[in-house]
Amino acid sequence: MLRYIIRRLGLIIVTLAVISLAIFAIVEILPGDVAKMMLKQNATEESLDRLREQLGLYRPWYERYFDWVWGVLRGDWGTSYVTGIPISEILGRRVVHSLALALFALVFGIPLAVLAGIWAGIRPDRLADRIMSMVGMVGISMPEFVTGVIFMLVLASKFELLPPTSMMLPGETPWTRPQILVLPALTLTVVLFAYIMRMTRASVIEVMQSAYVRTATLKGIPMHQVVRRHVLPNAMLPTITIIAANMGYMLGGLIIVENVFAYPGLGQMLLFSIQQRDFPLLESLVLLIAGTYAISNLLADLSYAALDPRIRVS
Amino acid sequence: MTEDVNLNGGQPLVEMSHLAVTFYTPRGTVRAIRDASLRIERGEVVGLVGESGCGKSTAALALMGYLPGTTKVEGSLLFEGQEINEMSPAELRKLWGKRIAMVYQDPATALNPTMRVGPQIDELLQHHLQLSKSEAQQKTIELFTSVKLADPDTIGNRYPHQMSGGQQQRAVIAMALACEPDLLIMDEPTTGLDVTTEATILDLVVDLKDRFKAGILYVSHNLGVIARVADRVVVMYAGQTIEEAPVRDLFKAPRHPYTAGLLSCVPAPVSTENSAVQLSSIPGSVFPASLPTEEACLFAPRCPMAQERCRTEVPAVFDAGGDHSARCFFWGDVRPGIWGTDELRQEGERGEVEPVLTATSLRKRYGHWERKYLFFGPWVRPPVRALTGVDFAVGSGRTLGIVGESGSGKTTAARVVVGLVPSDGGQLTLQDEEMPSAVQDRSRSQRAAVRMVFQNPKASLNPKLPIRHAILRALRKFAGLNRRESLERARELMEAVGLGPELLDRPPTELSGGQQQRVALAGAFAANPELVVLDEAVSALDVSVQAQVLNLLDRHQDETGTSHIFISHDLGVVRYVSDDILVLYAGHVAESGPAESVLNSPSHPYTEALLSAAPVPDPDAPPTHIRLPGAVPTMRERFQGCFFAGRCPRKLDGDICDTTPPPVRTGPRSSKHVIHCHIPLEELTALQRNGTST
Ligand code: SF4
Ligand code: SF4
Repeated sequence: MLRYIIRRLGLIIVTLAVISLAIFAIVEILPGDVAKMMLKQNATEESLDRLREQLGLYRPWYERYFDWVWGVLRGDWGTSYVTGIPISEILGRRVVHSLALALFALVFGIPLAVLAGIWAGIRPDRLADRIMSMVGMVGISMPEFVTGVIFMLVLASKFELLPPTSMMLPGETPWTRPQILVLPALTLTVVLFAYIMRMTRASVIEVMQSAYVRTATLKGIPMHQVVRRHVLPNAMLPTITIIAANMGYMLGGLIIVENVFAYPGLGQMLLFSIQQRDFPLLESLVLLIAGTYAISNLLADLSYAALDPRIRVS
Repeated sequence: MTEDVNLNGGQPLVEMSHLAVTFYTPRGTVRAIRDASLRIERGEVVGLVGESGCGKSTAALALMGYLPGTTKVEGSLLFEGQEINEMSPAELRKLWGKRIAMVYQDPATALNPTMRVGPQIDELLQHHLQLSKSEAQQKTIELFTSVKLADPDTIGNRYPHQMSGGQQQRAVIAMALACEPDLLIMDEPTTGLDVTTEATILDLVVDLKDRFKAGILYVSHNLGVIARVADRVVVMYAGQTIEEAPVRDLFKAPRHPYTAGLLSCVPAPVSTENSAVQLSSIPGSVFPASLPTEEACLFAPRCPMAQERCRTEVPAVFDAGGDHSARCFFWGDVRPGIWGTDELRQEGERGEVEPVLTATSLRKRYGHWERKYLFFGPWVRPPVRALTGVDFAVGSGRTLGIVGESGSGKTTAARVVVGLVPSDGGQLTLQDEEMPSAVQDRSRSQRAAVRMVFQNPKASLNPKLPIRHAILRALRKFAGLNRRESLERARELMEAVGLGPELLDRPPTELSGGQQQRVALAGAFAANPELVVLDEAVSALDVSVQAQVLNLLDRHQDETGTSHIFISHDLGVVRYVSDDILVLYAGHVAESGPAESVLNSPSHPYTEALLSAAPVPDPDAPPTHIRLPGAVPTMRERFQGCFFAGRCPRKLDGDICDTTPPPVRTGPRSSKHVIHCHIPLEELTALQRNGTST
């Protein structure tokens, strides 16, 4: 098992190295002179030259790449071109915001979706299953921004239960006004719910038809025991993979949802950095997202392995 | 217990009368059982035989009261006088596991993969016998001992995937026996296991029959297995029970033409009769479309004795005397000769022939060495060695049979010949010309010369296109015919494989399994090959259909002079078709040579064990004693001495077998017969003569 984890960690490091190189290369190729953009109209040849020198743009690319990587490893992520604030400072706050939103959605969404999926899957084609399937279909077919806007219109504009945007005033955190979290989290949950519920349902149905569940049933033990001991552990295996695969999707959803509700998280920052050509910030964000994705996949694989003895003890 | 009271008088344990089961599925109505009656007494094993789709498995599940909710069940099914069809789910749950238990076909899928095996039995004991956890564990260990599992104390801590197929099936049997049920249903419990494992499981069933007083219903398609375990046999055809008799009567004097046909379709693995007599076969197949719907005997379209009356009247079950009954008007006229068995096979000359294909020291490994931590650490996990320097040759117009358990390397050998997997070393020579090992490096004529037929015909047929496509493509690609010629030739080929040319326009889904396999054969023959490699090509077919295909292969070989490589786990079939036999074990040649020499003493201890394990469709066959426990070693190990030393029943005292690779000995009857073993041939002969007579 240890061997497996070490191998996987090694692979993640390789993946991140490749990704960092790729981001760096893309940013290098992107058109636009950073120095010109930063100084706007009042740029003189001289001041531009000085800035380029300062930013190290005259040094060869590999030197800059290794400088950057070395900085990232030490926790010095560089300075944002546009705002002039150290990136680690900006990201620190934003990461917390986004995590708060994601956790909110995960903590409510996943258990709900899994339970609903089990409920629907154990007795397929009953009323409960039909309703669940419909909810799932609707959830999947609507893009986040539509769902988000609907929630905004109904819950914020019509009934005025919640604030329509999730902007934060300076000095505010999600904890001081948790109601601003509700709408974006709800939107994120709906999409997540639909995916995970459908997957859980499908794998429960499949496992229910397996030979070993028939064996368990024909032992004459009570049905709830059959479900708990024989159906669930096996049905959860593929579900975990789906949850992990959805992490990437969820990160994408996060970007959209944050922008719909003007919630100051990583997603909003990402859009900002692209629009403003703030390359150091963009590079850091992409690396962060890639890292999150890789690690959540590792966690999923590990929990899969922990649940599946065919991998754990081989 | 009250069993003894009921044993003599009173009601039978199970009484099924005129059971009919109809499934309503989205794709239509299926009459799985039309009219089935049988009776099981305590302490007896009733064998239920029939081909696929005859309703035998449905009958087993009906006995459990485990049929989907949308099923219509008619007739009566009494278990100790109680009607199973009328029981509520709660009542059934009290019977399941406690009074009626079941052993399933595929033990690998019948056990929960995420749960240790011991607790899977404990939970049953805890529930039905109200045992505490530790009492249940204790009892589980006793059960493991009684089904003769090695290490009964610790084996329960394993997960199913950590056990071999035989161990898994023993665990499932232990589970079934846990509450000493009154009725044990075994549904094809050895199908899918190697013959060697099958033999040990059958020994266990025979042993259980003496120790437990339960009634056993043993469902199987394999007559050899039934002959071994059953006291009484019930034969099913098209959802009807058509014959019922004590096992000896049934095998010696069948009273239904279908049973007689089945018996003459099975080639026996070892026998003194000569195999020169052609196998008889039952024409047609049990494909629902061919069943008469009007009032008639359901077997009439295939029956050689059918008369006018059979097509207008439904035969009742007639009493043939001595507990023997048959659903046939003319049961008294059923004789061994009704299927015309006496036709002699065309035997090619036994002399020397030029080899079509020669393989010299073929080697194949799967995977490669891996390091412990991706790029660092010691080298661990050696590659799997599937073939280690294997030599063989296929004579022109001859058939080479390859036998061995799963993991012996026989399928790899086939794939290397066809070029599906390139070999890592060694040489293939096709008609004196070297043939590259990867199929893409072979010339068109070489590719046309070597064709393969798989176990599953669906693998080579596109389900959406009419079957004509598969055949026409091969014709255009390899025979270089134009559109008109190839259509003409396709018709000929269809007739050559015994199918009507009108089937060319049907999609494969409308054909039965046997018909699909014939189409696959026609596709292989289309290229006018020199060599056809048949990998378990008849294994999935029902015996009656299997015999048709075997005869078809035989005839085609006589007519065209093609050579065959025939791979099968069924020794009877291999013996029937092969001129030469190659016995593989763990990627090594154990023995090879002319079929008569290989299958007769002296043979390699492994061949001997395989022969001893093969079930013989004759209840009076002398019992055999050599059993191979365990399975073929994972081929990652390196053998110091003899590759078979780990399981060899005849392993020599001293350590020569463990330290020195065995020499190659040449058999007494033919210089082509080679045996890889340390035991001198005279000694082998002597040992084996004693072995079979005890
Ligand atoms: S009743 Fe007629 S058709 Fe049916 S098995 Fe007997 S002889 Fe054959
Ligand atoms: S060499 Fe020894 S171990 Fe190998 S088959 Fe002969 S007797 Fe058995």
